[in-house]
Amino acid sequence: MNGKNKMKQGHHLLTALALALSMAAVNPAGAADQSQEDVAGHRLSLHGFGTLGLARSDDDDAQFVRDLSQPSGLTSRWSTKVDSMIGLQAGYRFNDKLEGVLQVVSRYHSEGNFSPEVSWAFLRYDPDPTASVRIGRLGTEFYMLADSRLVGYANLTVRPPPDYFGPLVLSYIDGIDGAKSVPVGNGLLRGKLFTGVSPEKMSLSDGLYWNMSGSLVVGGHLDYLTGPWQIRIGQTRVRFDKDLPINEYTGLDITGQVPEMSVVGKWTRYDSLGVVYDNSPFQLQLMLSRIDQGSAAFEDSRAGYAIASYRTGNVTPFLGYSRTKSDANHFNSTPPLEQATAAFLSASTHSDQHTWFLGARWDLRKDLDLKAQVDWVRGSPGSVFPFRAETPSWDGHMTVFSLALDYVF
Amino acid sequence: MLPRPLLLLLAALLLSPLAQADPGLVLVVNARSGVDRLTLDDAVNIFMGRYRQLPSGLAALPIDQPENQPEKARFYRLLVHKDLAEINAYWARLIFSGKTSPPHQAKSSAEILDLLARQPGAIAYLERSQVDSRFRIVLELER
Repeated sequence: MNGKNKMKQGHHLLTALALALSMAAVNPAGAADQSQEDVAGHRLSLHGFGTLGLARSDDDDAQFVRDLSQPSGLTSRWSTKVDSMIGLQAGYRFNDKLEGVLQVVSRYHSEGNFSPEVSWAFLRYDPDPTASVRIGRLGTEFYMLADSRLVGYANLTVRPPPDYFGPLVLSYIDGIDGAKSVPVGNGLLRGKLFTGVSPEKMSLSDGLYWNMSGSLVVGGHLDYLTGPWQIRIGQTRVRFDKDLPINEYTGLDITGQVPEMSVVGKWTRYDSLGVVYDNSPFQLQLMLSRIDQGSAAFEDSRAGYAIASYRTGNVTPFLGYSRTKSDANHFNSTPPLEQATAAFLSASTHSDQHTWFLGARWDLRKDLDLKAQVDWVRGSPGSVFPFRAETPSWDGHMTVFSLALDYVF
Repeated sequence: MLPRPLLLLLAALLLSPLAQADPGLVLVVNARSGVDRLTLDDAVNIFMGRYRQLPSGLAALPIDQPENQPEKARFYRLLVHKDLAEINAYWARLIFSGKTSPPHQAKSSAEILDLLARQPGAIAYLERSQVDSRFRIVLELER
């Protein structure tokens, strides 16, 4: 099956889900058993989340982005672009085992605008209270907390640390996942497996896109929750279906002459470890990851971050540190022009930097918070992958000032 | 050694002034649920949506006190040392990633008692004075 067909299949699935949800909304009485209806309350639920963000950097030699789906980022002028977003979610509960969810998000993304995207659209079936299966469009959970990284109100910092979450450009898949929980000792062991096909594209610099549709995603993770601790190990693999547009960009036959630059059919592996210690008012998050690229078009990288916070009344100050570093690829093939070009392109995915960030979250109401944060990025001049539009005088150092108002309803 | 009922009476007498100063809350289930005791971990798992199966195998149906009642804020302080803004942030993450739903939000105390009496899997926190023979106390939450 080629990628186009897979994508079409995804569209059909979404259409069917949207139809099921709207029909359910029109006929909310259904054939429900009375007792469940009492407890479930409203069968149709509507929720929303949003962030109004305002940020700037002190450096016009590179643009700071929240993640690599964004084609351009912050300059030294205040902008609402990178963090502002709004999401709407409708849920419909058919019975105590079956639920449908549709979520639409508008944020600045690969199209270079805020055009809305269907980020979740799935049917969820819970055969019993310890297990669940979801089918449809699902948010990706490559790393712990990754599937809620747009929900500012659920997170402590203005944005999830870009050193760690920035390279995650696949935010959803059309597929299936299953989760199961089992009590073990005093805690709970939870496992999840997922697979699906990406319908997305990634924005590269200079207005170029990489069509990632048809990429196969397979992954899973294991959590252990006990007392204030949550520990997770996870692995996700992605097999890309289409090459980067490097031949079109350079006018050379790079993927033909330097085959290791081709990504098609090769597996990229994301390994991660996450630990959350949440003993209110003190909280600690620690995450580590390793991306093992199947192709030399990208450099292999490692990243990690730690955030500590302490809540005092309605204000929660936090301090964080994140780090990312990638390893240069070496090319031995001929001809020299293609080889040099491949080396240049691969080096454009280099990252070697750390960031200290300090800020506070202020809970104004139970559905509204205000955050202020400063990020000090310190890296080598070759650390260009996390940024957009670097100039030759980019020195790897940048300070970012951010404000955010997050709400849920 | 004093007989057990006497010891209990003595303890109750000794503790009663304290209990009146801060009565705490009790976690109760329907008397037909087949559940006698729950641990604090069980209660956290049920109310935080981690694991909603009662030891008897029934699906647990947790119920929250009305938003404006002081019991709700007190319960989450006792359970996980969190205030309601933190609890809301916690649920925002789970709701918007399509995971579990928060406990059923009751509109009144009467609704809670009614659900507790009719639903075998229902579980809710109450003032001790609200507990009657239809319900069983499975956990006491004291400061």
